[in-house]
Amino acid sequence: MKNPYYPIDTVVEDIITETPTIKTFVLKPVRPVKFRAGQFMQLTVPGLGEAPFTPSSDPNITERMEISILKTGKVTNALHELGPGAKVGLRGPFGKGYPLEKLVGKDVLVVGGGVGLAPMRALLYALFDDPSKYRKIVIRFGAREPAELSFRRQYDEWRALAGNISLKTTIDVPHPDWSGHVGLVTTLLEPDKLEGIDIVDSYALSCGPEIMLKFVTLKLLEIGYKPPQIYLSMNRKMSCGMGKCGRCNVGHYYLCVDGPDMCYDKIKHVPNVFG
Amino acid sequence: MQFIDSTNFERLLKKLSGEGELFVPVTEKDTGKLHIERVEAFPLPEGMSVEGYRTVETLKGFAQLLRSTVAEYPSEELDEFEADENTLSYIVVGARACDVAAMELVDRVQIEGEFEDPFYRIRREKMFTIAADCTDCGESCFCTLLGRKPWPEKGFDLAISKVDAGYLIEAGSERGEKVISENGDLFIAPRDGQEKSRDEARAKVVAKLEKNNRDFPDATKMTEPLRKALADGLWDKESAKCVECGACTNICPTCYCFLLFDTVEGEKYRRVMSWDSCQVTGYARMAGMGNPRPRLSDRVKHRFYHKYDYLPLSHGEIFCTGCGRCIDACSAGIDMRAVFRNVMSKVAK
Repeated sequence: MKNPYYPIDTVVEDIITETPTIKTFVLKPVRPVKFRAGQFMQLTVPGLGEAPFTPSSDPNITERMEISILKTGKVTNALHELGPGAKVGLRGPFGKGYPLEKLVGKDVLVVGGGVGLAPMRALLYALFDDPSKYRKIVIRFGAREPAELSFRRQYDEWRALAGNISLKTTIDVPHPDWSGHVGLVTTLLEPDKLEGIDIVDSYALSCGPEIMLKFVTLKLLEIGYKPPQIYLSMNRKMSCGMGKCGRCNVGHYYLCVDGPDMCYDKIKHVPNVFG
Repeated sequence: MQFIDSTNFERLLKKLSGEGELFVPVTEKDTGKLHIERVEAFPLPEGMSVEGYRTVETLKGFAQLLRSTVAEYPSEELDEFEADENTLSYIVVGARACDVAAMELVDRVQIEGEFEDPFYRIRREKMFTIAADCTDCGESCFCTLLGRKPWPEKGFDLAISKVDAGYLIEAGSERGEKVISENGDLFIAPRDGQEKSRDEARAKVVAKLEKNNRDFPDATKMTEPLRKALADGLWDKESAKCVECGACTNICPTCYCFLLFDTVEGEKYRRVMSWDSCQVTGYARMAGMGNPRPRLSDRVKHRFYHKYDYLPLSHGEIFCTGCGRCIDACSAGIDMRAVFRNVMSKVAK
């Protein structure tokens, strides 16, 4: 019999500092883990407990998995103290993952902010498998300051992958090291900044802090997206990952089985949906 | 259907007790309430009774333990494990309709669907339930408002109804049928009139339940009014007296929420599953302090919506069987039925 609560033995092979508060952990589980972009894992710090994270690595690679983690609570503080060789545990994957099949032939708008760029990178790897399957891939990333833009070493490489890829970044407030766009990520969502995206035939996917998700959603609605075209990576406390422990509900959905990426149309009626 | 007299019933329990731990309802002297007690030795404890109404304790703790170890790690077997053949069977006598129905609801969450909790399933399969009719009801009982009956119709291995100096007994599962067929000498055919007297007793309890609850709305029709009252200010009023103790959820036979936490045990680590309550503030609070239900009224409200709106959508049924324990357990006097009445009068306006 399989014990779904057992954390599969995993070694931290490498740690990449992405920003002052985000590190990417390169993990090697004792057996390969197959996941779809957007599905999440429960990562165990032995003796301390688990926290849920969506991998930031290429879903085609199952031997190793990368998870990019913001230092923000009990488990993540402990993770940030770890060094290469540390032993951790993995359960999962859980959840549905991004609706990749719906995106084929469409314009895809990817909006990420802060640590929300982490799951978005797994989505991008999945889209970059064959960029020609999508009409346009328009990526808009935001962070508070330049040093907080995760994965910036890869941006030029991504831009060069195919002619239909556009990636623009912004920071919230002016900074001496920054000559690019300044303003919240929503300011990159004005129709004239979206590479002529055909909004009617497009899906928008977003991940970031709840307050960002809220204003991104409002902006998307304002520029003509309809709720069924918007997918949001929702945040709730999670424990079991299997729809049994009760705590990650948004309305009648459990994010751990029905999400964590939810179609806005399904949850728009929930009071305080953005916390 | 068969008849078994009280002496033979005790013989049957003694025989069954050889296959596991036997639990029976025993009347507490001071309060007259029934508590589930383990039978250490025969004869059956003084005060054992299957009359009256539901026990103070629910059945859920037999399958979903208050606290249990669900993993020890690291382990060479990783996530493979052998079911413990020594898991004790529980023979539970006197379970009421509200409680056997509640277990079937919790089964939907813990066993059915994409993932199953193997520990819950193993314990659940080892439960042998002898259900019983209610011969009375409590002030807080409201199964009839949920279209339910104070006697069990399914979800049991055996069911008994008190008549004369014994019980009418019927099987509700293959295991129950086997027990009856293997112990044929303990049973006789019911006498004329016994079934009629059982039906009369049942009707009396229904009449009392209906009388007790005549001022409260039909709970099976609360989903829509609750949806309409989602943003209503009445929840601030209803929650004003709540002290956030979590008694309502702990005592609820359908509340299944749990938390996993890890401990250090020498060189190894242990993962523990513990009951949890959506009424306490830390239940859904995330790292970074984000909380989808930061206010007490959000949490009090959540209990009603989870049972009467969300679970019917996700698991096909209202997760309340009208046992009324949450009413008895609430030190603030929150009565689900009265809350529904207030919701109805708000929605009607």
